[in-house]
Amino acid sequence: MNTAPRRWRTSAHGFNAMLLIECPWCGPRAETEFSYGGEAGIVRPPDPDALSDAEWADYLFNRANPRGAHRELWNHTHGCRRWFAVERDTVTNQIQRSYTLDGTAPEPGTGSGTASKLTAESDTTSRIGSGG
Amino acid sequence: MSESTARRHGLEPFLASAESAAQARVEIRVVSNRGFLNLRLDQGDGAAVKDTTQVLGQPLPLASNTCTAGDHRVYWLGPDEWLIETGADRAARLVSELSEALARYHAALNDVSGGHVALCVSGIDARTVLAKGCTLDLHPREFGPGQCARTGLAKAVVVLAAIDDAPTCTVIVGRSFSDYLCRWLAHAARPHGVHFSMVRET
Ligand SMILES: [Zn+2]
Repeated sequence: MNTAPRRWRTSAHGFNAMLLIECPWCGPRAETEFSYGGEAGIVRPPDPDALSDAEWADYLFNRANPRGAHRELWNHTHGCRRWFAVERDTVTNQIQRSYTLDGTAPEPGTGSGTASKLTAESDTTSRIGSGG
Repeated sequence: MSESTARRHGLEPFLASAESAAQARVEIRVVSNRGFLNLRLDQGDGAAVKDTTQVLGQPLPLASNTCTAGDHRVYWLGPDEWLIETGADRAARLVSELSEALARYHAALNDVSGGHVALCVSGIDARTVLAKGCTLDLHPREFGPGQCARTGLAKAVVVLAAIDDAPTCTVIVGRSFSDYLCRWLAHAARPHGVHFSMVRET
């Protein structure tokens, strides 16, 4: 059985009306089916009490906001309801790829091992708690 | 029974103010007696999938965006979630049979019959009308019988499935959205001629 998602297309508007985002499970769907989840790869510091206010604020509020390649989280709200990550160019809106968070996302209770892995992969600015 | 169900749907205005069936190019039937179960389990758990298939008497669709038809209709919603549509009078028994079969697995089964309404949209212009509110390409080449998708229809979250080449499509929507969605469908289908009716399926 072929489990590859069908190549569904959005209605042709004659211009780039909205993003076509590839859900890793459901295939390409229109942007309106998704919710944006902000920058990917932000890892909660394993020991918040050990941080200064500035470091905690940096974790909570400061984002890389790059001009160009950006890794970000999306949720397929109107479809399979799963979170996944997308690499999008913030200038051209071109989406390079979508990928699942399996194996890279920190799992509850696993400590900082997976968290370090995720941070190490991140192409954004340095993160607090990556050494955990 | 069907009258009280109609009141709960809030759909009487549509049932009353319809064109004659002969002239309509879109036929919308509200299916009043369907039961719905939401099933969560890991599709990588081969034994659980096998036992579920055995109870259902038909395969659990594992390919994305597909549904299977048999005694019941089973819609793929995600890699660990399915919607099972069955007769309202069969839902309770199916719940107990599935619960028993799945007791030893990491799975969840919920009877969500009260929260869903099934609309059967058919007729020569059915796909055209649905396409007015849906971003998927609904051409039969892309969305043929046996395919389904949880997606948006006129901003409502629906499970949309292509049933046959008539064409017939099923739209399953949250009960609280059914009044809104029927109003939208009535408006979208007006230029094509639309006929609403209430049916019971066995
Ligand atoms: Zn999805």
